[in-house]
Amino acid sequence: MPESLWEGVRRRDRRALARLISRAARGQEIDTIRQLGPPQKPARVIAITGSGGVGKSSLIGKLIEPLRQRGRTVAILACDPESPLTGGALLGDRFRMGAALDDGVYIRSLAACSGRQAIADHLDAVIRLCEEYGFDWIIVETVGAGQGDTAVRAWADLVVLLLQPETGDELQWEKAGVLEVADLIVIHKADLPGADRAAQQVRAALELAGGTIVPVILVSSRTGKGIAELLDALESLPSKSRRGDDVHAFLNEAQQELHRRLRDPAATSLLALWRSGRIDIHEALRRLWELTGSPQP
Amino acid sequence: MWYAEGMSEEPIRIVLAKVGLDGHDRGIKVVARALRDAGCHVIYAGLWQTVESVVRTVADEDADWLGISILSGAHMTLVPQIMEAMRQAGLDHVGVIVGGIIPEADVPKLLEMGVSRVFGPGTPMQQIVEFVKSRRSAAHA
Ligand code: B12
Ligand SMILES: Nc1nc2c(ncn2[C@@H]2O[C@H](COP(=O)(O)OP(=O)(O)O)[C@@H](O)[C@H]2O)c(=O)[nH]1
Ligand SMILES: [Mg+2]
Repeated sequence: MPESLWEGVRRRDRRALARLISRAARGQEIDTIRQLGPPQKPARVIAITGSGGVGKSSLIGKLIEPLRQRGRTVAILACDPESPLTGGALLGDRFRMGAALDDGVYIRSLAACSGRQAIADHLDAVIRLCEEYGFDWIIVETVGAGQGDTAVRAWADLVVLLLQPETGDELQWEKAGVLEVADLIVIHKADLPGADRAAQQVRAALELAGGTIVPVILVSSRTGKGIAELLDALESLPSKSRRGDDVHAFLNEAQQELHRRLRDPAATSLLALWRSGRIDIHEALRRLWELTGSPQP
Repeated sequence: MWYAEGMSEEPIRIVLAKVGLDGHDRGIKVVARALRDAGCHVIYAGLWQTVESVVRTVADEDADWLGISILSGAHMTLVPQIMEAMRQAGLDHVGVIVGGIIPEADVPKLLEMGVSRVFGPGTPMQQIVEFVKSRRSAAHA
């Protein structure tokens, strides 16, 4: 069955793509995907990150039409959080993006484990599948990201960070760990008061931090302001290298590996033991390191 | 996930949508939350969908189920269109459930069209959850 799915993807059968993505997102087919080698036609992979409610889904929805007008096909991978308790997820990004019936657009919702790095597991494999299918652009929406959620850097050519006016004091900009990994910063909801001031503050914070100059663009999905400028920037900015040559890729990979090992029944009963209160969290951790064969921290 | 006891490895994926101009979205939101809490992956397509966009969503999201909520009285026009479009898209393996204000007399007709079950006002959430979980569509098993 997977064989015919692979053929399907190469024939540009959307259903085959959809089915293979489900398998990849669950951790199946990963070895096959990793052995594919570089894609015939690499896509431009753009990550859109920023805290929940900042307007990531709305903005992506507004990018679809102009992107299509520029002749680009696009796959959108929208990550929403999965409950660590039930494994359930309410994937609502698609609702904000509007309905696209065009064959050049593929929208897929993916659940991301909470406590992980704001992106769905095996995202690299899912991206690779979309490249195999031949999309020009792949846009990844992260779970409402904040400090430290920087893993997406490893799989994206460009990281766009969304901020909005009036979200707090000036310190906020410096605190956000994601500022460091952003290639482009969007002050979103620029129809609201305070957008210009927010842009000034962000520019000041960036200058203070030194390093390369990151463009800051004012955009409103509501009025359409700045959308064309944003697209121009997304087309023209040089791609960063992806394919896991940095520390974030390593950490993400390590996390996924640990997660995989934790599926072990012994690890599950260890958790039950901790939950029942018979051992404390430190003891549980100590035994966990033993179990997973990882060195003690 | 390893720490959620009794969770299946492969969560059920269900698309929930409202078709047409029907703006009653309380019920579908309640159902969405209940299914999420029961461990499903709920793709919320929301209000004002067309038949075509719903079917496209089900295909692209590789869903096991489609749940439609209709309180506008238009179910006898919309449901046949949806069922036909699903068939044409080769999505016969996806179960379809319908909820909302559906007169008793119309229920057998909807079932005849291939709808798996109809859930009216006051349906306990547990019933919906159990139904969805017990009848995972064959093609995805
Ligand atoms: C609240 C309400 C409104 C609110 C809606 C707010 C909102 N955002 O949802 C407002 C005031 C906006 C409204 C407006 C209108 N309404 Co109104 N409204 C109602 C009312 C009183 C309750 C609906 C409700 O929220 N119930 C609570 C939820 C939790 O229940 P539920 O939706 O039935 O869902 C349950 C089940 O049906 C099932 N379910 C529902 N969907 C799904 C989906 C799946 C997949 C599954 C498994 C289960 C499932 O599970 C849920 C939990 O048990 C009903 C009367 C009634 N008693 O139902 C009228 C009612 C639905 N409205 C009606 C009408 C006519 C209108 C208007 C046209 C009035 C007008 N002339 O302007 C407008 C239309 C607005 C529009 N754009 O569509 C009529 C519909 C008549 C018909 N179908 O033939 C009703 C039945 C009132 C009546 N007796 O005449 N309405
Ligand atoms: N004022 C204003 N509100 C917006 C804009 N874009 C989105 N919103 C609102 O912001 C909220 C969150 O949007 P959403 O796209 O879901 O954010 P996400 O969680 O980052 O994906 C919604 O209520 C939108 O209507 C905008 O440009 N201006
Ligand atoms: Mg979103």
